[in-house]
Amino acid sequence: MKIKLLPITVTFLFLIFFLVFFLGLKNPNIYKPNINEKKEIPFFTAKLFNSTTSINSNEIFVGKNFYLLNIWSSWCVPCRYEHEFLIKLNKEENLKIVGLNYKDNVKNAKNYLEELSNPYDISISDKSGLIAIEWGAYGVPETFLIHEKKILKKIIGPITSDLMKEIKELINL
Amino acid sequence: MASLIGFYSLVLGVIISFIITFFSVKNFKEPIVFDKKIIHFSFLQFFLVLISFLGLIVSFVNSDFSNETVFNNSHTTKPLFYKITGTWGNHEGSLLLWLLVLTLFAVLFIIKSNKQPTRYRILTLLFQQLIILGFFIFVLKTSSPFNYIYPVPNEGLGLNPILQDPALAIHPPILYLGYVGSSIIFSSTLAAVVLNYISKEWASHIKDWVIISWIFLTLGILLGSIWAYYELGWGGFWFWDPVENVSLMPWLALTTLIHCILVLEKRLLLTSWVVILSISTFTLSMCGTFLVRSGILNSVHTFANDPERGLFILIFLFSLIFMSLFVFFFFYRENDKTDYSIFFLSKETSIIVNNWFMMYFLSVVLIGTTYPIFLEVISSEKISVGPPFYNKLIAPFLIPFLFFMAIGPKLKWVKSDLSDKIYLILFLIISLFLSIFIVQNFKIEFLLNTILITFAFYLFFITVRDFVSKKYKNLSQNLAHFGFSLFILSILFNNIFATEVITNLKVGDTFKTEKFNINFESLSQKNKQNYKSIVGKLIIENSKGSIEVMEPELRIYNQPNISTSEADIKTGFLNDKFMTINIVQNQEYFNVRYQIKPFMIWIWFSILLITSGGLISMLKKKYEN
Amino acid sequence: MYGRKVKLRFFFVISILIVLILSVSLILKSLEENVVYFQSPSEIKNFAELKKKKIRIGGMVKKNSISADSNEISFIITDFKNEINVSYNGVLPNLFEEGKGVVAEGFLKDRNYFLASKILAKHDENYMPPEVKAALEEK
Repeated sequence: MKIKLLPITVTFLFLIFFLVFFLGLKNPNIYKPNINEKKEIPFFTAKLFNSTTSINSNEIFVGKNFYLLNIWSSWCVPCRYEHEFLIKLNKEENLKIVGLNYKDNVKNAKNYLEELSNPYDISISDKSGLIAIEWGAYGVPETFLIHEKKILKKIIGPITSDLMKEIKELINL
Repeated sequence: MASLIGFYSLVLGVIISFIITFFSVKNFKEPIVFDKKIIHFSFLQFFLVLISFLGLIVSFVNSDFSNETVFNNSHTTKPLFYKITGTWGNHEGSLLLWLLVLTLFAVLFIIKSNKQPTRYRILTLLFQQLIILGFFIFVLKTSSPFNYIYPVPNEGLGLNPILQDPALAIHPPILYLGYVGSSIIFSSTLAAVVLNYISKEWASHIKDWVIISWIFLTLGILLGSIWAYYELGWGGFWFWDPVENVSLMPWLALTTLIHCILVLEKRLLLTSWVVILSISTFTLSMCGTFLVRSGILNSVHTFANDPERGLFILIFLFSLIFMSLFVFFFFYRENDKTDYSIFFLSKETSIIVNNWFMMYFLSVVLIGTTYPIFLEVISSEKISVGPPFYNKLIAPFLIPFLFFMAIGPKLKWVKSDLSDKIYLILFLIISLFLSIFIVQNFKIEFLLNTILITFAFYLFFITVRDFVSKKYKNLSQNLAHFGFSLFILSILFNNIFATEVITNLKVGDTFKTEKFNINFESLSQKNKQNYKSIVGKLIIENSKGSIEVMEPELRIYNQPNISTSEADIKTGFLNDKFMTINIVQNQEYFNVRYQIKPFMIWIWFSILLITSGGLISMLKKKYEN
Repeated sequence: MYGRKVKLRFFFVISILIVLILSVSLILKSLEENVVYFQSPSEIKNFAELKKKKIRIGGMVKKNSISADSNEISFIITDFKNEINVSYNGVLPNLFEEGKGVVAEGFLKDRNYFLASKILAKHDENYMPPEVKAALEEK
């Protein structure tokens, strides 16, 4: 009896360990915080992508439309993962996607858009990275959902299919 | 190109893995002679992984940014040395290194075990191949170092500057040799249990492997600590951080294992200890990889985390654990020939007692490290377990531990008595007086410290006595124990007598204390290859008039844009002087920290002594043969 | 009666059990005393009573809030909802900057004032302490 009790207890103990570690993995401490801030968007002026014309934020975020400001770069690997979701989101009628090309080489950025197709309605460039700082961005990629010049949602890190659904729900309320 | 070759050799390696498994099983059924094919394929597998690893190094050296790993971790302005070491400074590359060492050890095992029974050799290699296969799949499925990106970026993202350091560059390979070395111990123990081959001969055969892994693990931890000491700028060398703890746990298990193997070799006792410890050493190493790589733990040393990877290691780890449990409970039989009688005053008793202490230390570290995970899962409270927990639970128990370390080697195997051992008591009294003298003179009223110093001195004197009386029979043991006493003494003095000043200074300011003045004289700037360097010049003048110039540095790296503090450390025979500066954002002030840390160098030196104990015991065996 | 060997074993097992129970309870007891709980500024505002124990506070360093003199550095930790003043005399980590995540360890003086004994460093510029992330998400 005693001999059989020991293996069972030990196995059981390790099963508990496994379970706890497994559950611990489910809420992993990865860096992907969502911050809800109903903040006014900062004012900025930027050059249109691939041109010398300047545009300011009041000219971009007009009317009752929803806007998605996506900060991206050709050297950013996670940006590639979210690209398909941006393309899908582009089909939404009341959503315009603004691409902010962050600290990038123009040639590389162009290749990138040609290769993966262009999901942006408006493309602006931020060669110095200053605009991204104004927005309080932590890195690339980062995405802001904007309505009537207020930030509804901030996504740090790439958009996932869950986040895409969330955005769709928010804009179709 | 190099990446492509690397990738395909990895894939070939997996195929070879299946071939080896096939031949091993076939050979195991008809074990007349050891099948040469297994040897050839194992060598081939090792070379394939080696080619793959070299392929990755070449990609790093050429800054081939079409490779995702290179792109994520390298930069053209990085010095060549760090381009090479950057290969294993990241998750993907470090796993490839694991794999390389795994296959290397399989090959070494074949070479070194030719006197062992054929069935045992084959079974060991089979278990080893199982681990290798698991890692192959892990690397290829979740963390391939050869992912291709297009369009090819012009520039990489750079290596975290805090990792651009010579000690840290060689730290992972050394540590991995220790971790992975324990895989062979794991495999061969399982094989020996299945075949009921646990014997004195087996013990002396496996002892070499245990000691080699132990040496590398110790050196690996040492390098990591030295790095933390001068790079993190906190002036400490051990922070009880989860990442540090996971390397300490296999070390504790392995150290205990060494002592158990000694008993097994002499008296065929403690067989179940040996089996359980061999299994736990490797599973703890794997567990460490899991905890660090999965992001389940909060640590000051952040690594790239990915839950998918975590899940794979978790399942792999627990498959290995359950497999070992199965093997242990179904195949393990006590040896009938064993003479169980253990006399209370004997060498084996003291080893067993200290084994239990080691197990206690191990469980303290294990619980302290995993408790936050348990609590978060159960109650979603977020906590951290700090150094006081470990200090409080470990320090008092070091006292009996040191005592048994001192007297154990003086006792005989089987049965011993205390006649002609009066010096043991005499030394204890001397140590006590010395310790009280020190404590009185320097006004530290703390009982625990007094007793700890007493027993550390006790071990110190007893081991020194053997050097003086030229008893070289147990040189390796004596050296290691001597090193340990020195280690404890240095740590104690280092803690008790440390002086620290933290202040904020502007250029031109002077900070005054009773013993010395710190004058922030000037600040200079230089541009280096991949960073901008700001060097402060601070003059420390102590009350006796002697002057020390400290030049701590701040580095602002270009890619990625991170600043690091490079401490200025003046290492001395008796103490280290340690200074760091840091910018306070938007302020004229600089955050200045000055520390005098006694016996710092002795801590490193004592660990080297402990390691050399292991080295000598191996060399001695060679020499005697 | 039982043989000597069996008796010895029995005694052995019992003593192991006792030692095991003792050490586990000792470990758990000191865990209880030495764990450091993590709180956000908002949680502190909602405390029924102030704890005397050491805690960690996580959040972002508020913009333009850092000030220094020769003794100490003070700044404000915010979770965009509530704020807490922190004063600190110690070593700053390299990545301590306004607008970035921070974890401070120390003691609460009152609901608005925190004496930090340690500021935790992270090695990664893009790193946000997981606790901060969770605290920010809860809002």
